[in-house]
Amino acid sequence: MNNRYVYGIVDGDPIEFETDAVGGADRVYTISHRRLGAVVSDIDTTDPEETDEDAKRHDEVLREIMDHDGGTAIVPMQFGMAFESDRTLKNVLRGARPAFRRAMSDIEGRVELGLKVVRDEDADVDTESVEKGVADALESIAAQSVPNDLFSDRLVMNRSYLVDRDVREAFDEAVADLEERYDDLTFRYTGPFAPYSFVDVAIGAQR
Amino acid sequence: MFVLDDLLFRPFVGIVDALHTVALDELYDVDALQDELKENQLLYELGERSEAEYRERKDELEAELEVARDVHERLSSGRVEVKT
Repeated sequence: MNNRYVYGIVDGDPIEFETDAVGGADRVYTISHRRLGAVVSDIDTTDPEETDEDAKRHDEVLREIMDHDGGTAIVPMQFGMAFESDRTLKNVLRGARPAFRRAMSDIEGRVELGLKVVRDEDADVDTESVEKGVADALESIAAQSVPNDLFSDRLVMNRSYLVDRDVREAFDEAVADLEERYDDLTFRYTGPFAPYSFVDVAIGAQR
Repeated sequence: MFVLDDLLFRPFVGIVDALHTVALDELYDVDALQDELKENQLLYELGERSEAEYRERKDELEAELEVARDVHERLSSGRVEVKT
């Protein structure tokens, strides 16, 4: 287990805890360069296979980090970032420092929430009016939002929202109100997740 | 005769070739299979599909996806010969 599997980047004090980690490791910890730390676990490959189980562990660990110590900001990595050694990882931290800093300031104190609006099987739905209704209710509360793939014809909308922890409750209530308002729609509201959809830091190429 | 053959025949081979590739693309549509996997998950989460139905469909789709990926890999590496 000489290689390091990266979950994300944190700013400040190192993190360490025991957990069910990717690839069968049982502990995550921080490898730091100055104040920036990569949260990692040990692994014996630099090209981990994305099994359902490990994908779930990756998400779970990110969630644990987000809940760590009353709420820790983490710039999440997509599944599969593994590095040869501590040294290569530190080099990446040094090189991508400005990008991580920018990403960190975008997501600090915020969580990602997902909303899928699904029409009932036989329902005839005016997509545009639903989009407007949902946007009017949610966009002013969210800090940012992005559309996701409409992978099923039952999906009327599929969006991710970046929401300040402080207004999370107001956002929850707004979603609940929407759910009441539309009879033939189901709102599938998920999260909080690490804000994957709102960071765009690619470090894979520098492995 | 060889020249005539060549001129007459080649364009058709080209078109058949292309059609065949399009057909393979549709038959082994990786994106569509991935979408269907996500839809299967969504319908399960919404309670419209039982766990047994969900698992069965998931296994089927994953097997199809594996075949589709394999076909595309062979196509792009030229290891599949298109016969006309």
